Amino acid sequence: MKVARYYFLALAAATFALAGCTTVNTVENAQKEGQRTMITDQRVITDASLNRKVAIVGLNRATTPGGLLKIQVEVENHTRSLQRFLYRVEWFDASGMQVNNVISAAIPEQIEGKESKFISSIAPHPGCRDFRIKFIEAD
Amino acid sequence: MKNKIILILLTAASPAMFTGCATDAHYVQTGDKEQIVSLGQINIQDYANAANAAVKELLESGALDKVANPPALLELSRIVNNTSQQVDTDLLTKKISIALLQSGKAQTKTVDTKAIGYQQEKEFLSDQKSTRLPDFTLSGKIIETVDRAGSTRRTTYSFQLSLNDPKAGVQVWEGEKEIGKQGTRSSVGF
Repeated sequence: MKVARYYFLALAAATFALAGCTTVNTVENAQKEGQRTMITDQRVITDASLNRKVAIVGLNRATTPGGLLKIQVEVENHTRSLQRFLYRVEWFDASGMQVNNVISAAIPEQIEGKESKFISSIAPHPGCRDFRIKFIEAD
Repeated sequence: MKNKIILILLTAASPAMFTGCATDAHYVQTGDKEQIVSLGQINIQDYANAANAAVKELLESGALDKVANPPALLELSRIVNNTSQQVDTDLLTKKISIALLQSGKAQTKTVDTKAIGYQQEKEFLSDQKSTRLPDFTLSGKIIETVDRAGSTRRTTYSFQLSLNDPKAGVQVWEGEKEIGKQGTRSSVGF
C-alpha cells in the first residue's frame, strides 16, 4: 500500500515536472546554398539567468535592395520549456549617434524548448551603421 | 511574551502586505516589462508590434524603391476595422508613415486642409496643375477572431496591409501580422 502511494506520488511529480516541456525537432538542407555574412559581436551580460536559458548564437548582416542595413540574430533556447523575452533594437549613425526610431518599442518574443530562432531587424534609415540589441527576460 | 512577538511581527508585516497590493502611479515606457496584456482589446503595444512588422517587411521588399522619382509618394487609404471595438487606425498608420518618412523611402500626401488650400491657390494663380499623383496607396484591415475553451479565451488580431499601385491598379506588396493573446483575464507583465 505504502509502495503504491510512493509510486503514485512519483508519477504525479514526474508528470508535473514534464508539464510545459515541449521541445522542437528540426530538419534542414545539409548543403547550404546561402552564405551568411557573420559578424563579430560584443556582448554585455548582466542577466546570467536569461543568458543561460536563451543564448545568443550568432549575428549576421545583409543590405536590402534599397541600401538599408539588415541584421539577424540567432538565439537558442537551452532549456526544455518555453521561454518568453522582450527585445529592443537601437540603431546608430556613422557618428555613433542614436537614430530616432518611432518604432523602438520592445518586441515580445517566445521560443520553444531547445528551439533555435532568428530575430531580424532593418535599419530605420540608410545612414545607420551600427546597432545594439537588448534582451529582457519576461517575468 | 510570545503574544508580543506575534503582535510585532504582524504590525511589521501588514504595511508590507498593503504595499504589495497597491501600485503607485508612475511613468512607463511603451512595451516595457510591466505592460498590460489586455485580452479583449488592441493595446498600444499591439499597434507598435504590427507597425514594426509592416515597416520591416515593406522596407525589406524594396517595393518603395521602384519609383521613377524617389522618394515614393504615398497616400494613406482606408483601414477597415472588423473588430468588436472602436479603434483609431491612426495609431497604426501614423507609426508606419513616420517610419517610412524617417527612412527617406517615402513621403505621404498631406491631409492638412490649410496646406491643400495653399496648393490649390498656387495652382489657380499660376494656372498650372502641380499636384503629383501618389505612387502608392496604403490600405488595410484589422480582423478580430475569438476562440474559447471554458474560461480561457484566445483573441487574435490580424493586421492586414496592402501597398497598391494606383497607376497600374495592382497590389505591389501585402503584409499580415497576427497578434494573439490567451488567458482567462487581462494581466500586468508580458
